Amino acid sequence: MRMLRAWWSRIAGFVRPGAGEREFADELQSHIDLHTDDNIRAGMTPDEARRQALVRIGSVAGAREAHRDRRGLPGLEAFVFDLKIGGRMLVKYPGITIVGGLAMAFAIWVGIVIFQVVGLFVHPTLPLPEGARLVEIRSMDVAANVQEEKILHDFLEWRQSVRSLTDVGAWRDSSRNLIVSAGDPRPVKVAEMSVSGFRVADGEPLMGRVLVEADEQPAAPAVAVIGYDVWRTRFGSDPNVLGRAVQLGNEHTTVVGVMREGFEFPVSHDVWLPLKTSVLDQKPRSGPAMTVFALLAPGETIQTAQAELTTAGRRAATELPATHQHLEPRVRPYAMMAAPGEPGDQPIMYSIYFFMAVLLILICGNVGLLLFARAATREADLVVRTALGASRGRIVAQMFAEALVLGSVAAIVGVTAADFALRTWGTVFLETNMGRLPFWFDLSLSPRTFAAAIVLTVAGAAIAGIMPAMKITRGMGNRLKQTTAGSGGLQFGGVWTVVIVAQVAATVMFPAVVYMEQSLLRGVQDFDPGFANEQYLAVQVERDYPVDGGSNVDDATLERNARLAATLEELRRRVAAQPGVSGVTFTEDLPTTNHPGKIIDMGYDLDLSDVASAKSDGGASALAGGSNAEPPLREATIAAVDPSYFEVLDAPVLAGRGFTTADAVPGTRVAIVDQGFVDQILQGRNAVGQQVRFRYPGPSSQRWAPGNPDDPAGPGDWYEVIGVVRELGVGAPTQAGRAAGFYIPATPDLFDQIHMMVHVRGGDPMTLAPQVRAVATAVDPSLRLVGVQRANEANNDVLWVMGLWLRITVVLSAVALILSLAGIFAVLSFTVARRTREIGVRVALGASRQRVVVATFRRPLLQVTLGIVVGTAIIFTAATLIKYTEFPGSESDLTLQGMAMIIGYGIVMLGVCMLGCVVPTRRALNIEPTIALRTE
Amino acid sequence: MTQLEKNSVWQGTLSLMVLRTLLTMGEQHGYGIARRIEQTSEGKLSINYGTLYPALLKLEQEGLIRSEWGLSDNNRKAKFYKLTKAGRKQIERDTRQWAETSAIMTRFLAASED
Repeated sequence: MRMLRAWWSRIAGFVRPGAGEREFADELQSHIDLHTDDNIRAGMTPDEARRQALVRIGSVAGAREAHRDRRGLPGLEAFVFDLKIGGRMLVKYPGITIVGGLAMAFAIWVGIVIFQVVGLFVHPTLPLPEGARLVEIRSMDVAANVQEEKILHDFLEWRQSVRSLTDVGAWRDSSRNLIVSAGDPRPVKVAEMSVSGFRVADGEPLMGRVLVEADEQPAAPAVAVIGYDVWRTRFGSDPNVLGRAVQLGNEHTTVVGVMREGFEFPVSHDVWLPLKTSVLDQKPRSGPAMTVFALLAPGETIQTAQAELTTAGRRAATELPATHQHLEPRVRPYAMMAAPGEPGDQPIMYSIYFFMAVLLILICGNVGLLLFARAATREADLVVRTALGASRGRIVAQMFAEALVLGSVAAIVGVTAADFALRTWGTVFLETNMGRLPFWFDLSLSPRTFAAAIVLTVAGAAIAGIMPAMKITRGMGNRLKQTTAGSGGLQFGGVWTVVIVAQVAATVMFPAVVYMEQSLLRGVQDFDPGFANEQYLAVQVERDYPVDGGSNVDDATLERNARLAATLEELRRRVAAQPGVSGVTFTEDLPTTNHPGKIIDMGYDLDLSDVASAKSDGGASALAGGSNAEPPLREATIAAVDPSYFEVLDAPVLAGRGFTTADAVPGTRVAIVDQGFVDQILQGRNAVGQQVRFRYPGPSSQRWAPGNPDDPAGPGDWYEVIGVVRELGVGAPTQAGRAAGFYIPATPDLFDQIHMMVHVRGGDPMTLAPQVRAVATAVDPSLRLVGVQRANEANNDVLWVMGLWLRITVVLSAVALILSLAGIFAVLSFTVARRTREIGVRVALGASRQRVVVATFRRPLLQVTLGIVVGTAIIFTAATLIKYTEFPGSESDLTLQGMAMIIGYGIVMLGVCMLGCVVPTRRALNIEPTIALRTE
Repeated sequence: MTQLEKNSVWQGTLSLMVLRTLLTMGEQHGYGIARRIEQTSEGKLSINYGTLYPALLKLEQEGLIRSEWGLSDNNRKAKFYKLTKAGRKQIERDTRQWAETSAIMTRFLAASED
């Protein structure tokens, strides 16, 4: 208690030093006066009495200092004083302030952005009152190591029996067209959700009501609750929206409530429908895919809930061995839904933190180099301070304080820039990669992120301040003797050599990375799709499937497909009838986007004598009687297209014939190849009539997966090549090398994803978008058109991300270059300053100035050259590796031209780095021996 | 013993001397405390005023004494110090500890003479 009181008093003394100073001055004066009075009473004269009193009291300054030290916090006061010195240093050395400050600001900016974004995945928090208690319950099939999503049966069981959880609810996700009166249909994200979802998420409506238990009854009227944004954009903020009839896909419903702004539970949903579980298939591991949520009961933890669910899981495994033998219920925080892997199991995410730390160390190490050079010019001052009693720790603390001031200014700039970047680009970047973001993703800087900024600033200041301080103060006592003897002093040692070399190497590498990124970006922008894709409207078609209670999955699939084929055909017919439309076709993947690749066998590799027998036994007889050599590894890029594809794309057949409707009948094994396939794989052979098969076809559910070499099913059936077309963008511009296009005809209902391409002659194809939507709604309201865009915009997302990375790399390169030049300048300036006398002596003795300068700069220039060589070697190695790995088995090495380019680039960088030498070299050349010899 | 030697021997016990002085004299200013200590030691102790006032400040920060400005006998403005309850308890503790330390040292010195 006493100690606490004493510390509190000292803190008060630190905060208000003036009051204590004045009071003690009064007390000292009072002491002197009292002693003087006593002396006068003892018989002295007033003057003598006062003099004796002053002599007796001793050093007033000493007394004041001792009292001041006791009154406040001397260590902290000294640190504050150092911070003030640091502030003055910022002004006195503007070059280092700007260069070092910008560099540290960049490091902090990168660190903050990474921390905030990664934190969304590894430390997500729900902005809900009960967010900490909200959990997700999953069912894991531990044998197959996949999540079982058909858990309606389990959900109903858990809701009844689990005591450690309350408000157990579920939701299923769907996207449906929202058709509002005569407005065009647009897809909205719909959640069929248990009513407890509104309770756990604090869902208060803006108007009307939320869903209630009565809405979940099978015979209840169809009702919907809409989100604030939907109400604003689709209903024009209509105050009379309640009771309006709307159409969601095939379902007609009535609006009963509007949610408040910002409510998007369960993830990022716009419309809520009641989850009518009684009409769904409730058999174990049947029915629709669902997500289950719940609140931890008061006093319960995730561990206790997990224990209870594990017991329930074991019980279910005993009672339902056929379906539940390998199923295990798992509980996790709800917000971890967006995180990859299990909670606490995100090594990749934490490795990003490692990159952040390395970047901070690199940049701040270089700033430390500049601060060392600056401190070296004050060596005499530091030596004198040491002689007067300053400890090593005191000087190190002072230099740390100077670096902290610089770092603090840098942190303000870095944090401001990070906040701007996250607000401007963060959401777009994440949405490009993830689609719509969960409602709990908040990119505004959190208190945790601000704390991280402080940690980064202090860590950066420690690296930039303490490292050079330790170097400066090492052997200070000996240096005192050496300095007074007129010799010796600080040198840039081994650590700084590594720092300089690493910095220069990084400076060399980054522009090469920029060049590579720019080449890739230009490659994407300039990629030739082989047809006039600016004239085409590209639309992805999605469809709802109505809920069939208790129906058989296979029958339902067949029925859906049968209806879908007819629906798409009607859609094609009606769109083609629109004015300005000259053709409509379908494809599984849009041109210039990623297409699947498959390893193929060519018939001539296997020396087939009887294609028919080879086809019937899968080529086994051919293999047995054919060549002993392993067939070469060839990959084709697969495109599943509608038979009308080439006609609509105005791509005439160059050899053979095009597809017909009959070719799209399942089981018909024909294909068309493009010129890339002819040139690279056929290499001069006639394409028409060639036999091609997939070496590893894979299961029908993953038909375009690369395939498993260990699959016992063996190679697929043979396809006959019936025609050749020109290259039509079957390979994505981001894929290395030239694609070998292999087109397979199919009806669009069999595609994994359906893209419709509409050829619009004259004008912007986007002007047709509203008519296409209207036609689609008229054909089938459950048809959803997403990603409506011009066909030449298919890679806009990729371009945006690449452009962002390019901008970041350019900034990084600029920072690295500035730091390098500043570092080289600092090192050489320091060298000139240290060796001024020596240069003067040598010139006075007759040595040529140029030779003396070369000899003086030899070591630092060697360091720079070594950095250039290291950086160039890394680029060379990387270029070779990239070429080699992109084309496994290829013989293409780095060409002579490529090597010459890299070497030439290294020479250019050497010249750029020499810019840092200009001013110090001029100084050295202008040293007058007579002046230099007077230098102490 | 020189003046410097005398001061360095007794410096560690300055706090106890100040507290005892206040216990004996009641409220007193810093100069008065110093004079009293010197008188009690019959001139063998010379107080360094540079250390006295930090010591008074330390005792005040720890709550063993408190201070108040007032007027001295000859109407001089002075800062008077007064013992607190905690200070009285501290005197008892320190006195007991000092007596024990002194007894131990006495035994040691007697043993070494033997």
